[in-house]
Amino acid sequence: MKFKKWIQSLIFYEILLGMKETLKHFLKYRPITLEYPHVKKPLPENYRGMLGLLRYDDGTEKCVGCDLCEAACPSRVIRVVSAEVPGEPTKRYSKEYYMDMTRCLFCGLCVKACPVDALGMSQEFEWAVYDKRHLQLNKEQLLAIGDRAFPEREKRLEFQHPNVAYFNVSFKDVPEKEF
Amino acid sequence: MFDTSIKLALTLSQIGAVMGVVLLTVAVLTLLERKVLSWMQDRMGPMEVGPYGVLQPVADGLKLFFKEDIIPAGANKIMFSLAPILVLVPALIGFAVIPFGPNWTIDVMGVEFKPFVISDINIGVLYILAFASIGAYGVILGGWASNSKYSLLGGLRSAAQLISYELNVGLAIVGVLLLAGSLSLVEITEAQAGGFWNWFAFDPLPFPQFIAFVIFLIASVAETNRLPFDLPEAESELVAGFFTEYSGMRFAFFFMAEYANMILVSCMSTVLFFGGWHAPLPFLQAPGPFAWVTGIFWFTAKVYFFLFLFFWIRATLPRLRYDQLMRFGWKVLLPIALGNIVVTSLLAYIFPNG
Repeated sequence: MKFKKWIQSLIFYEILLGMKETLKHFLKYRPITLEYPHVKKPLPENYRGMLGLLRYDDGTEKCVGCDLCEAACPSRVIRVVSAEVPGEPTKRYSKEYYMDMTRCLFCGLCVKACPVDALGMSQEFEWAVYDKRHLQLNKEQLLAIGDRAFPEREKRLEFQHPNVAYFNVSFKDVPEKEF
Repeated sequence: MFDTSIKLALTLSQIGAVMGVVLLTVAVLTLLERKVLSWMQDRMGPMEVGPYGVLQPVADGLKLFFKEDIIPAGANKIMFSLAPILVLVPALIGFAVIPFGPNWTIDVMGVEFKPFVISDINIGVLYILAFASIGAYGVILGGWASNSKYSLLGGLRSAAQLISYELNVGLAIVGVLLLAGSLSLVEITEAQAGGFWNWFAFDPLPFPQFIAFVIFLIASVAETNRLPFDLPEAESELVAGFFTEYSGMRFAFFFMAEYANMILVSCMSTVLFFGGWHAPLPFLQAPGPFAWVTGIFWFTAKVYFFLFLFFWIRATLPRLRYDQLMRFGWKVLLPIALGNIVVTSLLAYIFPNG
């Protein structure tokens, strides 16, 4: 046994074994590299990427300026300035909407908190910028992200199916829902 | 006068051709090393510049050429500038005695001219060893002149390593010199004519120099500062060792010198142990005036095999510890090399015509 060990160390047995292994990999060229900027890894459906504001299919904003997202946010990313819709005292909207994405931790609590599903998380993650201030997004930018990431828009609540809609405006033949 | 100018023109063009090929090989090697290494590690290597990254050496060269040349504060400026030259020149100058093809003498307008060896001096081996030792000065000076602790440590390690392993290189070669009876690389190659059974690494009589070849290979890996003996430039310990403070073209000089040294060492092992330009089997050698084609082909193939071996070893083995390196050099390789000399000389005495 000792003799065998001695012979093995004399002919560099273990080094030769290692070299055989590396040669095997050299001849069987199967790289596991993903050439990232050219090829992208498929993201899971529920990936929590960049936040965006959504619109209805007629182009109006979903956001009603309720501030619930601001209240839900654990890192105080969101700042909403709410205002009345001019001429319609019962309706409100967000006059200004700011997100400081340098602080965002992408927990998705604001999306959960939104009563009208006005917020969505896109699959975008390549948001490296040279200037930190470029990550302080205003309403236009957030709407642009939402338009880009969610091209399929929902109908306004009142035009949705009567089982969902609060007021049945668009389905005249279906009887009104009873609450 | 006419003869002299013809001789000068011929020699200069020959030097130019050899230097061109060597520097081109250096450029190819930088790409080849990264590719081979990444293939062995299931990666792709450079893929961006050109198809499959083949233009990467050009991009690297341009980048290094246009980089700012920084001399650190407190550095010894003269020594700092001298060191890269002192490393690169010995690495390139060794190719002067390497025979690339058959030892022919052709007559160009009354001037005798050897097309496949720049200069066939009768102490070729000694010449290469001497210049390899001068290269060590460049490394040590570069480390010392940088005024940085990492550089200094790298240079000191390099000094100790080069001294210990040059000894083994020298002693491993002695067996070959005993068998060939000459220090001229051309004569050593010619002594190995015929098939691969006549190469000194395998020649059964008087004594195959295979052990000497393994010692030579290990010691030359250590001399060229390659993994697993790259202690002078150990990335994880010394940033980049003796060339930590170098940038731009000076860094490129060190880099080129490392690869040129690799080529030189591969040429040496080809010539000394693997028959130089001779084909492994006699019928693979082209006859008559076309012998130089196969000669250069076999020489190149052997050299590239050894270069591949360098990459292969690098991909396989981790770096040794400093005390392991020293112990291995002095306590293992040196006694075996000495024993090889004793056995070879005894057997060469018993079988004088072996």
